[in-house]
Amino acid sequence: MLKLVRIALGAIFLAAASFAHADERPAIKVAVDNLWPTMDPVIGISTTGARVHSNLFDTLVRRNRWEDPEGTTLVPWLAESWERKSPNVWVIHLRDGVPFHDGHVMDADDVAFSMSEERLWGEKPLAPRGTRYARGIVRVEATGPLTVEIETSTPDPNFIFRLVTPLGFVLPKHYYEEVGTEAFGQMPMGTGPYKLVSFDPSVSVEAVANDDYWGGSVPAKSLTFQIVPEYSTRFAGLVAGEFDVIVSVPADQAEQVRNTSGVKLMEKSIENYPMFAFNTLSTELLPDNPLVDANLRKAMVTAIDRDGIVEALWGDKTFVPAPFNFPEYGQYFDPDRKARFTYDPERSKELLAETGYDGRPLVWHITRGFYPNYEIAAEFMVEQWREVGINVEIKIVDNFSLAYKRPFHMLNMSMSSEFSGDPYRPLWMDWGPLSSRTRASHKTWAPTDRFLELGMKFESAQEFDARNSAYLELVEEWENVTPGMYLWRNVVSYAAREDLDWDPGNSAVTIFDDLYLGSS
Amino acid sequence: MTAYILAKLFRAAATLLIAVSMVFVFIRFSGDPAAALAPPDAPQEVIDQYAEAMGLNKPLWQQYASYLAGLARGEFGYSIHTGRPALELFLERLPSTLRLGSAALLIALAAGIPLGSFAAINRGTRIDRFAMAFSVFAFAMPNFLFGLCVILGGALIFQVYFGGTDASVLPAALTLGLAAMGSFARFARSSLLETINAPFMRAAEARGVPYMRRLAFHAAPNAAIPLVTLIGLSLGALIAGSVVTEQVFGWPGVGQLLVRSVATRDIATVQFIVLAVACTMVLVNLLVDLLYLVIDPRIRSR
Repeated sequence: MLKLVRIALGAIFLAAASFAHADERPAIKVAVDNLWPTMDPVIGISTTGARVHSNLFDTLVRRNRWEDPEGTTLVPWLAESWERKSPNVWVIHLRDGVPFHDGHVMDADDVAFSMSEERLWGEKPLAPRGTRYARGIVRVEATGPLTVEIETSTPDPNFIFRLVTPLGFVLPKHYYEEVGTEAFGQMPMGTGPYKLVSFDPSVSVEAVANDDYWGGSVPAKSLTFQIVPEYSTRFAGLVAGEFDVIVSVPADQAEQVRNTSGVKLMEKSIENYPMFAFNTLSTELLPDNPLVDANLRKAMVTAIDRDGIVEALWGDKTFVPAPFNFPEYGQYFDPDRKARFTYDPERSKELLAETGYDGRPLVWHITRGFYPNYEIAAEFMVEQWREVGINVEIKIVDNFSLAYKRPFHMLNMSMSSEFSGDPYRPLWMDWGPLSSRTRASHKTWAPTDRFLELGMKFESAQEFDARNSAYLELVEEWENVTPGMYLWRNVVSYAAREDLDWDPGNSAVTIFDDLYLGSS
Repeated sequence: MTAYILAKLFRAAATLLIAVSMVFVFIRFSGDPAAALAPPDAPQEVIDQYAEAMGLNKPLWQQYASYLAGLARGEFGYSIHTGRPALELFLERLPSTLRLGSAALLIALAAGIPLGSFAAINRGTRIDRFAMAFSVFAFAMPNFLFGLCVILGGALIFQVYFGGTDASVLPAALTLGLAAMGSFARFARSSLLETINAPFMRAAEARGVPYMRRLAFHAAPNAAIPLVTLIGLSLGALIAGSVVTEQVFGWPGVGQLLVRSVATRDIATVQFIVLAVACTMVLVNLLVDLLYLVIDPRIRSR
């Protein structure tokens, strides 16, 4: 009998000892609405992809959102330093001794491959969606074990900013070439704080701490993203302690989360701006489109009290931007610059009187539930247009390909601003001659000659003053035409357990490394 | 009898062909799959590249012909998102769907048929009215509402999460089985009532057959015929999973796969799931028809 007790005591002691050695870091579980089908950081560009793959991969350069929610400062990451060798050539010096998840050490060949012609910008690239970020690149070359040279066709003073975008993710060349593009996206491997264990795009992603992480300790022992399509179920899982973080709290459910004990709500305004484009073109299916007249478009913009609508729907969570005047653009951002066309019903009526608008209904295509609060705002706006005598009909459709189906007078969309050091993307990439606004089957405008000319000037300007003045002129021309109207800065919301020391900054990307997640 | 079976077989094949053709056409007309795959702001070239890779730039009849030819060879195509065979994706999901579905069916049968029979035997009494009120409620209660009540109640009151496959299958199965239980109960009741009042039952009574024996060996087999049809249909539906219940409980089954595949226009996967469901339905119907031959001698002699 005594022997039995002794054995039992011994067993308990052993169990206790092994418990003390067990990993005390939390296992973080995130309930998401969806997962992108591939975790390749370029093919998988999307919110549902980036919030996962940014934990598996590192970029060459990062933004400091852990210190500043807007993340306006560049932080050397896999790239330790860089210099501009000549106006068109940048040299990047890589960090030494950074292992991929299989132990293979990253070198210049991996970086050159990640940004290569073959993968991103050639004739038939492996990841065609990278072309946009790689525009103008003509040569990427490993010039030493840890040095890479990148040459652009025209001088780009802000090139380094691109390395925080998906262009900057470094992939292991040896592994990618061994398994191929598709398999890589299903079983990705990077240098990031977490390494993948399993990925089923319709169920979950499971990753564990990469304990050889070059960037130091990893604050959670594992990280799981699990699809729970229904918001109420995600919320129930959070309250019951199944999940640590849940994404996409609907705007009308925010109050409930605030009033539930043990959980907290996080609302972040992000670099994306819901808007709508006016269809300024007369097409076969829309032969005498009244919106061809700029005065009607301006009358519509001045009829809307955007500040009032945003205040009512969002409180102080977000704001109405003056066209292309976005806070993420540092010195280009001017808090005092106002939009030229703002709420002014009298002016709206005057402008309307100058048009030949006959009161016919203008059809507005809106994708159901895509942008939080968009449909409600649209209802308000339709009423305000009715007050000045403009008749807008909302047509809500289930997906974008239906929204793009002509005929329509107005089309919902959003524009991401992309952190590129200046407003190049939202203004020139999104409205310029190469944009889908101009070229896609659902195009809505043709840039004026003056817009093209100013854009060229903006693109080639090297110094801040020249670039800034070209930018302001370009905005002025955009407002002359008014091919669209920006509504507000988009808001993403998370709910998390109250004691979780984690803050993603103003971003839809959820990173759980030790800069964002406290190790409590 | 051979003619009866041949006619049923022919009808089954025609049903399948119509089902796959309709899905083929509708999924292509309800939105461009290439555009659904690319993000909303993708330039036209990217969309075109996707279309080319997926063979969507070929004329519709060519796509249709190669699809049918593939089916004949037993090739069901590949998911455009994961590059994996649609069959494999489906089979992966099938076990959890079957687990949930069979638990739900079991609950529905085990509770529904006794409830209905009990109501029929006690026809017109308070028990009958209560049982029927309950089964109408069960049938009419939308399962997304009941499911949400279950899952939110569990979390907010008991701090227990009922979603996902780690949890017990019971809450989800109860939600899914509730409606079926209601309809089993009502069918069982009306079918049993009809047989109880049939002349042969009175004849049996006159012959002095004891009450319980009359119920078990005379009434029940006759009442079973419509129930067999109903159970057959439920079995067929089992494969399709439950779109709503799986969605609410975060249950990774075939239903969720279908919703997701439709939303992302994953053509091969949607086509395969519909084909699989249609096949099962047709097969079950065929089996039910054959089962009639066994349980109903009148059909056999026709």
